[in-house]
Amino acid sequence: MHISEGVLSAPVLITGAALAAAGVAVGLKKMDSDKIPQVAVLSSAFFVASLIHVPIGPSSVHLILNGINGLLLGWMCFPSILVALALQAILFQFGGITVLGVNTVTMALPGVISFYLFHRFVNQQRRLLPLAAAFTCGFLSVLFSGILVAIALVFTQESFMSVAKLIVVAHLPIMIIEGIITLFCVAFLHRVKPELLGGIYGKGS
Amino acid sequence: MEKGHNITIYLLILFFASILVISTNLPVLAHKVIIFAWIEGDTVFTESKFSDGKKAINSQVLVFDRNGKQLLEGKTNNKGKFSFKIPKITDLRIVLNAAMGHKAEWKIPESEIRETMGGSENKAAGWSSQSIGVGLSKEELKELIDESLDKKLRPIVRMMNESQSKGPSVTEIIGGIGYILGLMGVAIYFKNRGKKREVNRDN
Repeated sequence: MHISEGVLSAPVLITGAALAAAGVAVGLKKMDSDKIPQVAVLSSAFFVASLIHVPIGPSSVHLILNGINGLLLGWMCFPSILVALALQAILFQFGGITVLGVNTVTMALPGVISFYLFHRFVNQQRRLLPLAAAFTCGFLSVLFSGILVAIALVFTQESFMSVAKLIVVAHLPIMIIEGIITLFCVAFLHRVKPELLGGIYGKGS
Repeated sequence: MEKGHNITIYLLILFFASILVISTNLPVLAHKVIIFAWIEGDTVFTESKFSDGKKAINSQVLVFDRNGKQLLEGKTNNKGKFSFKIPKITDLRIVLNAAMGHKAEWKIPESEIRETMGGSENKAAGWSSQSIGVGLSKEELKELIDESLDKKLRPIVRMMNESQSKGPSVTEIIGGIGYILGLMGVAIYFKNRGKKREVNRDN
């Protein structure tokens, strides 16, 4: 879902870069020194995930993992995803440096949204609710990203509905797989380190 | 103590995840689209694909001249191929527009086209047709050579095409993770330095 270099027009690129800068600033402000390793590890996971290709469906798609990134990091997924995307652009030539801002927003904003939607359910001491929330979180983050990509592409000649439909259909398998991965991550953390799910901003704050 | 435990768990997860990626021989795959073009005779052949080897089918291909004027457009077939007769002797810029914001381009310089179109007669002028001693004119001979060269070079062209589209290597993946861990170190350093300064000021 990386948008390539030279597809978008300058206003879209600048808007994307500005939004990404704002998001990164908020994320960096929320980042305490003891959260930094967590951000780095999730950033690495995002970086590597794009190499895991899912050979189902009509197009070339890969894992994204922005759901779990957002769920565990909140606003801090902006810096996490920015770093991972920058390295993907430099080392793998996915996306590009000029579209870095737009790509960061399309990936990280759904993460932040799903943090606010699902975080409160994930750390509850019930059996099924956290798992269901985790699956929905992974599923919807990819869907939101697809919609944001389509919005970014509206300003080129492609029409919104056709692009959105194409992206959503192509990423349907990914949405389901991401949902399952997020579910397993949450289940695992529940057993091993439940405070990671609850106390990302410290208890009570 | 607890913080240390946290980090250990994360690093373990990361470690196993990267082992999984590297060892399952998942073709290391990518999200990039590539167009590759070469000339045979007076025709330009192009091949388009995603970097995992999946062909970019039914995608728009645009051809521009040096001044950015569009010369022609077409669509790749179900093998990701599209070919066209050279429309004009100029620098050609071939742009592939795959869906979902994927774009790639390939340039063919004018000199290359001139050479293959036989526009460089005077280069061969040093050869006199009599000295060859076969009943072939200079032009016929040149054509024959071109033809067989095209044929002989085709596998090499294909090989280059393949190697062009190779995904990221293990070194790059490990390197990227290394960069992230390094950045983590830098971030921790600066956060802690800020804290220390605050403590000093308080004292």
